[in-house]
Amino acid sequence: MGKLYDRLMQDYRIKEGLNACINCGTCTAICPAAEFYRYDPRRIVDIVQHQDDAQIEELLKSDTIWYCGECLSCVTRCPRKNAAGLIIMALRSLSIQTGFFMESEKGRQMYLLCKDLNSNILNYGYCVYPRTFKYKEHQEAGVVWKWEEEHLDDIFERLGGNLDGEGAGAMRKIPQKDLDELKKIYDITGATQMLENVRAAGLKKAEELGLTEEEYAKKLYTESSNKHFNH
Amino acid sequence: MIYEGKQKIWADYQKEIPEDHYFYVRSCIRQSFFPASEVTFLDITRNKLGKDIFETEHHTTCGGIAYHSDAIPQETAMTIIARQFALMKKYGYENYVCSCITSFGLYCETMETWREYPELQEKIADNLWKSCKLEFAKPKFLVHASDLIFKYRNQIAAKSKYKLVNVRTGEPLRVVEHIGCHYSKMFPSKGVGGAEYPYVLVGMVEAWGGQIIDYPERRHCCGFGFRQYMIQSNRGYSLSNTHKKFESMEPFKPDMIITNCPGCPYFLDRWQYVIAETEGKTYGENGHGIPVFTYEEVAGLVMGYDPWDLGLQTHQVGVEPLLDKMGIPYDPAKKYLGKNGKNIGEPEKPHCLK
Amino acid sequence: MKNNILIIGGGPAGLEASSILVKMGYNVILVEKEKQLGGHLAKWDTLFPDGLKAEELLKAMIKKTEGVKCFTDTQVQSVNILDKSYNVILSNGITVLADALLLATGFDLFKAEKKEEYGYGIYEGVITNADLEQFFKGNFSIKKPKAVGFVHCVGSRDEKVCNPACSKVCCATAVKQACHIKETFEEADVFCFYMDLRMFGRHYEDLYLKAQKMGIRFIRGRVSEVAETSEGRLLVKAEDTLSSKPIKVTLDTLVLMAGMRPSESGYMVGHQLNLSVEEDGFFSTKDTMLSLQKSNLDGLFFAGAATGPKTLPDTLHEARSAAMEIDNYLTKK
Repeated sequence: MGKLYDRLMQDYRIKEGLNACINCGTCTAICPAAEFYRYDPRRIVDIVQHQDDAQIEELLKSDTIWYCGECLSCVTRCPRKNAAGLIIMALRSLSIQTGFFMESEKGRQMYLLCKDLNSNILNYGYCVYPRTFKYKEHQEAGVVWKWEEEHLDDIFERLGGNLDGEGAGAMRKIPQKDLDELKKIYDITGATQMLENVRAAGLKKAEELGLTEEEYAKKLYTESSNKHFNH
Repeated sequence: MIYEGKQKIWADYQKEIPEDHYFYVRSCIRQSFFPASEVTFLDITRNKLGKDIFETEHHTTCGGIAYHSDAIPQETAMTIIARQFALMKKYGYENYVCSCITSFGLYCETMETWREYPELQEKIADNLWKSCKLEFAKPKFLVHASDLIFKYRNQIAAKSKYKLVNVRTGEPLRVVEHIGCHYSKMFPSKGVGGAEYPYVLVGMVEAWGGQIIDYPERRHCCGFGFRQYMIQSNRGYSLSNTHKKFESMEPFKPDMIITNCPGCPYFLDRWQYVIAETEGKTYGENGHGIPVFTYEEVAGLVMGYDPWDLGLQTHQVGVEPLLDKMGIPYDPAKKYLGKNGKNIGEPEKPHCLK
Repeated sequence: MKNNILIIGGGPAGLEASSILVKMGYNVILVEKEKQLGGHLAKWDTLFPDGLKAEELLKAMIKKTEGVKCFTDTQVQSVNILDKSYNVILSNGITVLADALLLATGFDLFKAEKKEEYGYGIYEGVITNADLEQFFKGNFSIKKPKAVGFVHCVGSRDEKVCNPACSKVCCATAVKQACHIKETFEEADVFCFYMDLRMFGRHYEDLYLKAQKMGIRFIRGRVSEVAETSEGRLLVKAEDTLSSKPIKVTLDTLVLMAGMRPSESGYMVGHQLNLSVEEDGFFSTKDTMLSLQKSNLDGLFFAGAATGPKTLPDTLHEARSAAMEIDNYLTKK
């Protein structure tokens, strides 16, 4: 039994999500990613259950494991109580831990995701924070959001919110003491270390490519090769 | 479709939802894009129905979006969740109601994993003490805020001013209900009505006079996909899934969509705008989109709240055709005004979407 | 004095065993809960692999039971274990002192509505294997279909519905029914969605070949969900796992191959006798090889699907074996 497989088995999501797969395809049939990307969750579960480290390593380095949207629709229907979505989540965690995530285009996006989401959490206490959700980067949010972005304080006031205000309420300012506790949680549960590793790997890559941090972030945000798609 | 068949299934999924006394936890996305929905939820439950729904400013995100974007470890998410639960206990509550579906699913999954692996629960309790000096606790009852509105649906109907009925024809409105994936797909028994034919929104719509329409892709994800939306170059995933749903529901001519997840109404609303602006395709009547609502907004509308107090001006798909159908009066001149009539300008008009 | 043998269940196993035992000179009492004899066979039109008429087979079997005391529309109300016999009270008020008991309680069809995602009882075009046999017999109507699908393994090999075992007969039944549908509606496209095609018996593979030659399409993938289109047709999603592609097929009729579950009435009898069942819910046999007709109780025997899914020939073999075991037992006594 290989080393990567053993490390995967430490993950509670594998313990819960991997039974024995009979390759029936129930998961793939309703997977939102399977129609859009060249992606078949059934194959991934099958590879993991084969316990072949070479194949698992290939997965960890591939774009394939980053195609899932973690909607977990696959969980409902599997006749063997597998959870393809949870298995993917464990593979992604291991890909990050081993550094293999840097070998694929979709894996490298971790740099941006870690940076943006965690700065919202650690600075404001929210995963999504309206002042950092920019129309420029989210034109699909519509011209109505463009207007909201320009008048956030007025609109939150009009709608009974409490944007950056004291006390309770929608989008209130979360007290610093509570943010400090979140930071302590990050420190002792390995999140801080993970973020540092992902950041260092990203910066190293940027340097290799001769890009500034900002240019590298933009590249990750906007560039996509055509090889991912089903159609 | 044989309605009685669904009723039989609904009868198998009776979720126990306590009547009162809840610790309330907000949703990152709902607060950001639909702040008035949370305001309305608290106003209806506390002031109109007299319930005890407690909120503390000290609670935070559950970390769910970062967790499902793989940007924090499972142990981190679990410890943040343990902190939320500990606050509930600290303030003297044992019933926990959350506004977010991602949170709800993650809470369910976390509690299930703790139950199966007590050594992990012990580790998380230890993490919690080391980081926050808080005492570990678990809710006695965990519900989503839509479960509560479902529970109170008949009380809301009794206080309603308007119905989900087309006032011109007297016909029930044709309503699409969209359930967030993490509500019951992982644990069917945790959701009202199960995973295949969830009843939580159907119950509200029926109590308020509307008619549910059943279309092939109704169980399909809105397409959020976490990282598949957060990163611009992945966003085609998100758009294509919403597109698939609208193509599937179009022949059924829905009047409106009701949702229980905070992300779905944003995506179903905004991707309609993108499809209209890029393809020229609209799914409602006469160049309009199909208006998409949170359940709090729909409850607010039937109870007679002013549409602009509910924040419906912050939707990109115009809601006016639906307000007209329901016979709800509104003042177009006040749509985009700030507090106390302050002029804060108006959004630009989309090119194609009316 | 003749020994009394009580046979519980008037399906193929019970009928076959009773006709042999009555010829051996025993006093045989057969109890059947339905108004007619035959069990599931009475509700079936034709049988795989060669299309034998179920009705004719049943008639022949019933004819052989002359001399058997048959109580139809009758159930076992209570059973008590006495020193060397069983005291059984029937729902018709009769008490039987049986020297041997044969449980031929068979199976129930899995309740297809439990697989909620397939929409049985919700979408009109979704029917079961049993419904389709009734259609072939002229007792059930379906609209002339343009496309028909068969879902194998409904409630079988499925841990979610607590039935991980294979129901054994559904693959062959599906292929037989698919051919029958194709013969009835020549223009219709016919699809079989299977996980593994288990065509293990003599001539079963020939049946599969016939189906393929008739143009029936075999898709190796389990159906994930069924929905109704605006025209009232059925949209079925599966993965064609041999090409690794999710597929959608629009059908008019979808036949769910409901698998076998332990029979509820058999369970009631077993419960009174404290009979042990295995994880699959079917009765445990004395061992797994040499004494398949015996239970752990002296004088109590099994035949047929009471101890797990079986084909009709398997069931009949078991009935004959059980008759022999009962005869040995009573002779030694």
